[in-house]
Amino acid sequence: MIWLNVAQALLLVAIAPLVRGVIARLKARIQNRRGASVWRPYADLAKLFRKEDLTPPSASIVFRFAPMIVFAATVTAAAFVPVVHGSALLGATGDFILLVYLLALSRFFLSLGAMDGGSSFGGMGASREALVSALAEVPLLLGLVAVAILARTATLAGIVQWTVRQDFTQISAVHALAFAALALVAIAETGRIPVDNPTTHLELTMIHEAMVLEYSGPSLALIEWASAVKLSVLLALLIAVFAPWGMAGGVSVPALALATLAFLLKVFVLALAIAVVESSIAKLRMYLVPDFLGVASALAILAVVFTALMR
Amino acid sequence: MTLLFPLLVPLLGAAMMLVCRRPAAAVRVALAFGALEVLAIGNAVWRIRAAGVLPAGRYLRADGLTSFFLINTGLIFALVLVYSVGYLRHIAEGRFSSPRWFYGLMFLFLFTIMAVYLSSNLGLLWIFVEATTLASALLVGFYNTEGAVEAGWKYLIVCTVGIAFALFGTIVLYLAAVRGGVDPRSALDWAVLMSAAPNLRGAQDLLKLAFVFVAIGYGTKIGFVPMHSWLPDAHAEAPSPISAMLSAVLLNCALYALLRFDAITSRAIGSGFSHTLLLLFGGLSVVVAGFLMIVQRDLKRLLAYSSIEHMGIAALGIGLGGAFGLYGALLHAFNHSIAKSLLFFTAGHVRENFGTLRMERIRGMGRALPWSSGALVIGSLAIVGLPPFGLFVSEFLILTEAFSQARYAVAVLLLAALSLVFGALLYHFQRMLAGDPESAPAGPRLPAADFAVMGVCAACLFVLGLHIPGAFSSALRAAVAVLQ
Amino acid sequence: MHLVHFAAARALASSAVFLFITVLLMATAKRISTCIVLFSAQCAIITAEILAMAYVHKSPEAYAVAALVLIVKVLAIPYALFRIVKNLQAPGDITASTTAAQSVFIAAGLILLSFFAVEPYSETLRVDTDMLAAAIALVLSGAFLMVSRKKALAQVIGLLVLENGIFLAALTTTFGMPLVVEIGIFFDLLMGVFLMGLFVFRIRDTFEHLDVSKLRRLRG
Repeated sequence: MIWLNVAQALLLVAIAPLVRGVIARLKARIQNRRGASVWRPYADLAKLFRKEDLTPPSASIVFRFAPMIVFAATVTAAAFVPVVHGSALLGATGDFILLVYLLALSRFFLSLGAMDGGSSFGGMGASREALVSALAEVPLLLGLVAVAILARTATLAGIVQWTVRQDFTQISAVHALAFAALALVAIAETGRIPVDNPTTHLELTMIHEAMVLEYSGPSLALIEWASAVKLSVLLALLIAVFAPWGMAGGVSVPALALATLAFLLKVFVLALAIAVVESSIAKLRMYLVPDFLGVASALAILAVVFTALMR
Repeated sequence: MTLLFPLLVPLLGAAMMLVCRRPAAAVRVALAFGALEVLAIGNAVWRIRAAGVLPAGRYLRADGLTSFFLINTGLIFALVLVYSVGYLRHIAEGRFSSPRWFYGLMFLFLFTIMAVYLSSNLGLLWIFVEATTLASALLVGFYNTEGAVEAGWKYLIVCTVGIAFALFGTIVLYLAAVRGGVDPRSALDWAVLMSAAPNLRGAQDLLKLAFVFVAIGYGTKIGFVPMHSWLPDAHAEAPSPISAMLSAVLLNCALYALLRFDAITSRAIGSGFSHTLLLLFGGLSVVVAGFLMIVQRDLKRLLAYSSIEHMGIAALGIGLGGAFGLYGALLHAFNHSIAKSLLFFTAGHVRENFGTLRMERIRGMGRALPWSSGALVIGSLAIVGLPPFGLFVSEFLILTEAFSQARYAVAVLLLAALSLVFGALLYHFQRMLAGDPESAPAGPRLPAADFAVMGVCAACLFVLGLHIPGAFSSALRAAVAVLQ
Repeated sequence: MHLVHFAAARALASSAVFLFITVLLMATAKRISTCIVLFSAQCAIITAEILAMAYVHKSPEAYAVAALVLIVKVLAIPYALFRIVKNLQAPGDITASTTAAQSVFIAAGLILLSFFAVEPYSETLRVDTDMLAAAIALVLSGAFLMVSRKKALAQVIGLLVLENGIFLAALTTTFGMPLVVEIGIFFDLLMGVFLMGLFVFRIRDTFEHLDVSKLRRLRG
């Protein structure tokens, strides 16, 4: 079983750049362009790993070690999410809270590193990121808590196993609200439109990009990879909590193969949804982002209250 | 068949307005149809008096209460129609301001009011009360000025929301009736509900809930405080004949609807709850309207608040119940409609001659318009409830009832409010009547028609104040008997 | 038949959730056309509910009412509203006095309030409390929309949502009133929307704007 769970976590880490590539390709198609190959992010990572790692003279040890901590925290978070069968490499009571805070840890060190880099854009990006992450924490946590209350369990694996047993034709108000809240938070956390534009070149509109301006070489590769892993972790989380049907019951090879296929299909559907949303609406101006996250918070709070009202 | 005439005549009249091209022809056709309608109403009242209760098919029904309000409506409509002929000569000709549109809409409005009175079914009652709002909204906004459009919009929105609540109350009553064993197909029929009312004793919660929503809903149309916000605007910005129709006829119409519901609720669970609620609304309206009348600057807004006041007094009368309460309330509604029409007609003259309704700009009316001033004096004496006019009798009856039930709080409240109103009106009108006219208005003499109309109003008030004629009194007693 | 039965049962069970979703979405809407589409969706959900109930209780009158709702509320009224929006040629945004997040919070609070309001009557009425709570939530959120939106058309939509709620409350508690009354109510609604549209044009022509919060000439 251990090797299966290790393979699960490695799968998430390995396909992360592919997910990014697929989203970019789908966006290009929707916008009537040809777009780069879906394997392009891998080529970018390989290129970056070969390059030289430059550090600003005013930076301290934080700047140098931040990328490694960011990557380590994100990969550890990936180890908590069940992907192809109902358990993960790491799991404990309340592990979904730990997952939220591992992601927060990676964000925290990214901001520290950005501020340590000494450029003004780093500071600006860090402050914006702090705003977004502070507001995104409540809906993320409460959305997961609402589903956990319904499932009467405190582990992600338990939630998955409970959800698989449910009847998916009965729309549950709690699930609908929690899904809406988590979807909004996922957009905010991974820096997609309408909160942040991952392909922007204008520093004034950057949040994530502004924080990584000073990084280069392997450090930049680690950070880019970590942000891709964060996207795939959140997508896998959404799938595991809300649509885990298709996961393998046992350890047999055909069941696992089917489960992997189902997972990849669901990721593709979510990637398509992200691409469509990114191509249709405009990025919000910065002072409207708290409003956006406020809506997510309201939905998450309502989801939690509904666990008591609608049985 | 008898009951269909009062409904068909206004519809035909409205349709005929589409045919008449020239304003003069429209006016004559309108007068003809108005006379026809008065005849139809008279015929209906005669038949109802002979038969007691006159059902007609599944959806129409008339009893003593209906005939009382029909008399009221017929009288006021006739007066308003005659007055409007002269009034319309002074409206600017516009695409939608011609007499054609005016009379067409007014006949449509009359149709909906008649349908409210003649419907046997609470659901139809609701539909047509809502229809009165829709029919009169365009009349309120007739002048198409900023104030008129704003008043019309507010009227439409506030009354529609209020009536929606009344629908909810009607539905809850329907639910209570169906659960109490009434056949669902006739559980909205008023007569059926009245006879089945004792069986509904068990559904107390539902009946109370229903009455609260109905009181709020129809109370919005009656103008109870705090749902009254549309009333001063609508009555002030509408043309004067329409203001008279709104104040005199429409408020009574909504009161009629509320009375029908109160009858069912009182028979089912006793009148404690419903009458307390009515006393609350009545007291609130009387006090708030009284205070607000002091600070008014526009003549018609002042009259509109006076309407709220008097509807509050009628509510107090109904809420008191007893030997004189309901009788006094119905008599009060009737007297108020005549007095308010008189005052609105006078306001129309003031507007024609002085060009404005702002009371601070009107001076020396006593010298400039002697006959209109006389009418104003009579109307204001009547409206504050001084003898020998009719409102004194009705208010006295209500006060007597309050004292005989030892409800001294209500009596004191009523007396205080009446004194407040007296002071306010005296203050405002005295400033208008006295003094020298600043600009001698090149006012035309009072047209004979208007003179006759106002004379009829004054005469009615006088007669009802001195001695209520036997026939009228028996009609009033029949109306009260229906509700008890 | 099994599929129809299944669909009917599912419709009855889940419509409340969908109605809550529309209430929340309407609170965040930034354009009037979005609101109109959401209103149409709400009425479609109610139509599905009526059809499900008609199937379960086997009453032909309910089918007629469902047809009425479909024609009048799902198609006719939204079409009329879209025509008005197009002819007005005014900017289609809703100026609201509360931001999207605040509106969603208030809407969520109103949904909870409606659940609490329905609690004491769940014994007397013996109905599906979820649907009745959804109806009350529609009424309250319609009232909230009317109060917090400044554009005239947005107020009209709020009024329509409020009437929707009352209609749904009637539906859940009584399974429909006599057909004549239902037809009359729909006719009233249609005429009401027509008149309100007329007044919106008049407001635009007289005042040169559609902001009803600026209609404050008459006061006192």
